[in-house]
Amino acid sequence: MNAMIKVARYHLVMPVMFLGLPWATLALVFAVDVAQGGDKAFRAGLAVFFGMFFVTGVQRIGRWLPFGLTLGATRRSFYAGTALLGVSMSLVSGLVIAGLQAIERGTGGWGLSITFFRVPYVLNGPWYATWLTSFVGLAALFVYGMWYGIVNRRWGMLGLLAFIAVQVLVAIAVSFVYSRSGGGALMLRPAGGHPATLSALDLTGVIAALTVVCLAGGQATIRRVTV
Amino acid sequence: MPQMAGLDEGGSLFAQVAERLAGEIADGGLAEGERVPSSNELAAFYRINPATAAKGIHVLADEGLLEKQRGIGMFVATGARQRLLARRRAEFTERYVQPLLTEAARLGMDTGELIAMIKDASSEREGVPV
Amino acid sequence: MTPAISATGLTRKYYDQVALDDVHLAIGAGTITGLLGRNGAGKTTLLRILGGQEFPSSGSVQVLGAAPAENQDVLRRLVLVREDQTYPDYQGYPNFKVSHALRAASFFYPCWDADLASSLLEDFRLPANKAIKSLSRGQRSSLGITIGLAARAEVTLFDEPYAGLDAVARQIFYDRLLADYADFPRTVLLSTHLIDEAAALFENVVVIDRGRVMLDTAADGLRGMATTVSGPVLAVNSFTGGRPVWERRGLGSQASAVIVGQISPEDRERARSLGLDLTPLSLQQLVVQASGGSAGAGAVTGRASA
Repeated sequence: MNAMIKVARYHLVMPVMFLGLPWATLALVFAVDVAQGGDKAFRAGLAVFFGMFFVTGVQRIGRWLPFGLTLGATRRSFYAGTALLGVSMSLVSGLVIAGLQAIERGTGGWGLSITFFRVPYVLNGPWYATWLTSFVGLAALFVYGMWYGIVNRRWGMLGLLAFIAVQVLVAIAVSFVYSRSGGGALMLRPAGGHPATLSALDLTGVIAALTVVCLAGGQATIRRVTV
Repeated sequence: MPQMAGLDEGGSLFAQVAERLAGEIADGGLAEGERVPSSNELAAFYRINPATAAKGIHVLADEGLLEKQRGIGMFVATGARQRLLARRRAEFTERYVQPLLTEAARLGMDTGELIAMIKDASSEREGVPV
Repeated sequence: MTPAISATGLTRKYYDQVALDDVHLAIGAGTITGLLGRNGAGKTTLLRILGGQEFPSSGSVQVLGAAPAENQDVLRRLVLVREDQTYPDYQGYPNFKVSHALRAASFFYPCWDADLASSLLEDFRLPANKAIKSLSRGQRSSLGITIGLAARAEVTLFDEPYAGLDAVARQIFYDRLLADYADFPRTVLLSTHLIDEAAALFENVVVIDRGRVMLDTAADGLRGMATTVSGPVLAVNSFTGGRPVWERRGLGSQASAVIVGQISPEDRERARSLGLDLTPLSLQQLVVQASGGSAGAGAVTGRASA
């Protein structure tokens, strides 16, 4: 635990960098949305914010790992400490998003009918569902990004291509299996009751499972990385 | 690199440290009962490894020229100066006389010439304060 | 007494070459050891493995009693200063500054001395507020040295840490290293190819050539191990007759030869009478011999193990 704390403190030696970038980007995209005038059509602005968490995950390995290893962090503790930090940030950010969503609903789209923090089917339910889905989504992307960073460090460009190729193959195989089994279970559709929440929870569950896969994979891959 | 305050790079460093200290004692620069610089001080001065400096000190300590006072440091032992001067006297022939004779032989000078030279040089010095 | 650093049968292979070949090593605690050898000899690979940053292909390594790789207990008592350290450098705002690197180091090293770090920054004229991305090669080296010394780690490894440093700055490094080592003894392993500069720092030296250890001996034992005899040809030949000779050179009626072995007082007297000049080989010249032709290497190795 102590080792992970040290790693987290190392990452936060420049706090602005860790937290600032995604939120600054969000503010920028939001401002663009406002400037373009609000209409009810959802423009996937929030996706950029989520994407930034992926980028941050990649960077935290790519740029911060070498000096971290020099300072004496073990690869295991570096991974765990970084992942812990990313997951914590996701938890907090998810809450903030839920809060902003509530405000957006309350003000009727910031007084301009903007739907920025309300994503149909996925982020449109009660605040706790929004929090959960955002949290899991952000954490997943962060940890996913970390894995990319590690693969790149270990095997370079070729490794990245192979990594992506494997994922594509797995995705094809999985969808093949599911279409064969006749289940439309993974397709987002409004069911009875609370439509958006139900499908969102399904999705959240899948993403959570994928996050665990990324965590395990990243931990295993970082074992023998050299800088 | 001229960084070792005159120590010769090629030769044994600790032996040179010992020689320098012995020279200081023989010349009276370090009096009997006076504290000798510590190995750390010598190391810093000569810019060498402290263990090497310590070795040089131990050479003299082993010969009884220095004695240790626990917790304070190394001190010049009584009689050290006499012993060093006696040693220098014993070595004088080998160190100075032999090379003199060798060089004189090279130049084809005989012993008589050599002695005359020494007398002349010595009387020139007489009036000059050392 | 257990050595602070030891290697047994250590081998490291890459696809196309063998970087380290069956290396056996034992370095005593609290000593300063020079790791010497030509470029590409394997010094960097050895240090990276000792620092836990690389893994052996076969054989084992122990630092402070345990394998260093992925070992928290060892790693926090060890610091490796690399020639090519990359930092999380960002350009523009906000940027990763020298002060950030030092702060990060303070989290990881239990014996970190911030005052020493500040004073070293001053000595090297390195502003704490400067972005690492914008540092010159020499300034990056100064930063590495600052971290390496201020960490006060029990085992301090330096891998040619002075790239881009001028002679004055290098002297500052040697002086500060010696001074802090005198006050806070630790095990130091310093790799360098500027041997004569650093020679006086070393208690022991390890010479590596092509991944193999050629020499592992006390520095002082090396000094005076070989001597250049120069003067008239006939006199040189007469003097060196029957002794192992590493090298002979001649020009007209003058000649010089490098002979191995201690020179006795009788030898000196004889040399004097023959009109010969005797100059001991410096550490650098000895290492060149050890890293050079097989005859030289064999002679040096043989002598050292005697």
